[in-house]
Amino acid sequence: MIIFPCSKAPRYRPFLRVVFLLICILLIDPSWSLAQEDLTESWFNPNRVNMLVFLVFFFGVIIYFIRRAKKGKSLFIRRIAGLDAIEEAVGRATEMGRPVLFVPGIEDVNQIQTVAAMIILGNVAKMVAGYDIPLFVPICRPFVVPVAEERVKEGYASAGRPDAYNRDNVRYISDEQFAYAAGVQGIMLRDKPMANLLFGSFFAESLMLAETGFLTGAIQVAGTANIHQLPFFVVACDYTIIGEELFATSAYLSKEPKLLGSLKGSDLAKAVIMGILALGAILVSFGVIEFKNWFFIQ
Amino acid sequence: MRREIPIAICFLFGISFILEYFIPHEGVLSIFETIRQWAIIVIAFAYVLGIANLLRINYHVVQRKQRDWPYKIILMASLFFMITVGIVFDILGVGLGGIGEGTIFGWVYYHAQYPLQSTMFALLAFFIASAAFRAFRIRTFQASLLAVTALFVMIGRVPVGESLWAGFPDFTEWIMNVPQLAGKRAIMIGAALGAISTALKVLTGLERTYLGGE
Amino acid sequence: MGTAELIWNGVAAFLVLCIYSFLYKDNPFYKFAEHLVVGVSAGYFAMILYYNAFLPKLIHPLLAGQWWYIIPGILGLLMWARFSRKYQWLSRPTLGFVIGSGAGVAIPLYLQNYVIRQVHATMLPVGFTSWPLITNLLIIIMVFCSLTYFYFSKQHKGAFGAAATFGIWTLMIGFGAGFGMTVMGRVALLAERVVFLRDYFAELLSALF
Repeated sequence: MIIFPCSKAPRYRPFLRVVFLLICILLIDPSWSLAQEDLTESWFNPNRVNMLVFLVFFFGVIIYFIRRAKKGKSLFIRRIAGLDAIEEAVGRATEMGRPVLFVPGIEDVNQIQTVAAMIILGNVAKMVAGYDIPLFVPICRPFVVPVAEERVKEGYASAGRPDAYNRDNVRYISDEQFAYAAGVQGIMLRDKPMANLLFGSFFAESLMLAETGFLTGAIQVAGTANIHQLPFFVVACDYTIIGEELFATSAYLSKEPKLLGSLKGSDLAKAVIMGILALGAILVSFGVIEFKNWFFIQ
Repeated sequence: MRREIPIAICFLFGISFILEYFIPHEGVLSIFETIRQWAIIVIAFAYVLGIANLLRINYHVVQRKQRDWPYKIILMASLFFMITVGIVFDILGVGLGGIGEGTIFGWVYYHAQYPLQSTMFALLAFFIASAAFRAFRIRTFQASLLAVTALFVMIGRVPVGESLWAGFPDFTEWIMNVPQLAGKRAIMIGAALGAISTALKVLTGLERTYLGGE
Repeated sequence: MGTAELIWNGVAAFLVLCIYSFLYKDNPFYKFAEHLVVGVSAGYFAMILYYNAFLPKLIHPLLAGQWWYIIPGILGLLMWARFSRKYQWLSRPTLGFVIGSGAGVAIPLYLQNYVIRQVHATMLPVGFTSWPLITNLLIIIMVFCSLTYFYFSKQHKGAFGAAATFGIWTLMIGFGAGFGMTVMGRVALLAERVVFLRDYFAELLSALF
């Protein structure tokens, strides 16, 4: 990992590391980016060296901060109101004796947002397990069913309530988007959950689910990285988790050092990107476009 | 080993697909295209789990005569009907079996499923109206930003906007090309970094939630 | 429109009205339509997967001698171990394969499309001498402030907090714009269904009278 020994003042080290990385990126031979005619027999695409640099840098940063967290270094994470609201929503559902509904989006388990939703589901199941209220999980893709069953079962087991786990509460509805929405609306209208947690990848059905949930008087917390659905969640739900906050949820709820470490790594990557943006804009303003062109991907 | 082997498989295939991005060799790309087809096949097998889950839960409701049990019969009957006309009729060589136009399956799709889906989609017009009504009940400064911008964009994109103020369409374009674009880019960059971080944790086994307990 | 078509379109029109009855309240007609759409679509997808995935991608290649397709067949069959409580763990390698492949495909894709391409597109010339340059500067400042909002490991206080606040204002303006853009599209969907019902009832009335 990058070690920058010069500054004695620890608070400036992250900034100096960013500058050091930027200099390294600038020094990489730009001729590697020249397009070649025929790459079908090649073992490396030189047009993607910029991607390789970013990937190696990002992986290195994440792994570094995870290892640092494992050594016991405490890491701060700012408050995210929407995530605090999950516990409040579950508490309110318990008071009213009504179920909790967790909707993990409509995409398959090979999509990262669904993986993130499954991670959150485990945390929610652990919260719900302590109370005697059902946790309904309607599923859109069959492959998500076994993963969701495992997460809920594990959540209940880790809360010391394996007996409370009901397999029938994890239900496959339909692969078809609007049939799934119709099925979930049915659950909302008839089972009347008090807390609706919508996390994952959603499309046009997002507004349907959020509005129906609002009509039933439930507290709604939604989170997605699908930009086009965020406006509807913001309007219709009580709390909305925007974009990257969805992937930070598991770290936030579990407070596990390894997960918090990866969040810190993400933040450093964002800082580097902001530095690159600033530098690129300044250089382009003075007519120097080579730096910008280095980031072009064919 | 019950957890280590799946984690190793996850890592192996994950890293392979990452490396595939950098390798333009034709032979390598065709191997990975084949592996992508494997994932589709595996997901097709998993569909049986979904159908079994659907049937098990609805059968229990019918058996115990719980709430709405007659409708569960309709659900299961329509499922079996589609499978029967789609596969069984085709295997037995019964006329109008199989999928596609001119088959019973095709008729049910065009005259039942398609209208049902389209109508569910069309319900969004009512939902968006009720959401807009609530959005315009401004309570905070942030909510007011959202509501006012939505109003400007809605008015700017219809002829009445231009008749109110000639610059309305250009102003709407500016909103779309500047603040909306900037916000969208920031969300994309942040979400992508979060997604990559999560994917990396899954590949390295730090996140092994999909495996469940022992 | 022939009699058969009139009857079939009548079924479609009836189902459309059943779904719209939801707007009043939950009722037996909506429940009927809801359960029908779930059952029919589940059966529909079973057929699509059988004819478009299972047959052409597994059975036909195996019958053509491409023996390596037995691997996904075995991985798929291992998923069915979920039916047994004792042997459920056998499905884990398949889960690892699907999730690992998905993660591996996602990483370069996300980095390329949502990070590097966005960074490239945001490196715009800035200045104060013309409106396009000022606009570019505004875009870059807004992107910066919005990215600041997503910073988790620092308290949003002071200048940093002010930038994050400006960032969330930018996001809210963006959400408002997205909401406003979508309204027209959704109303168009309703118009399409209303036109269908209008045309059907016109045909029915002309057939009857």
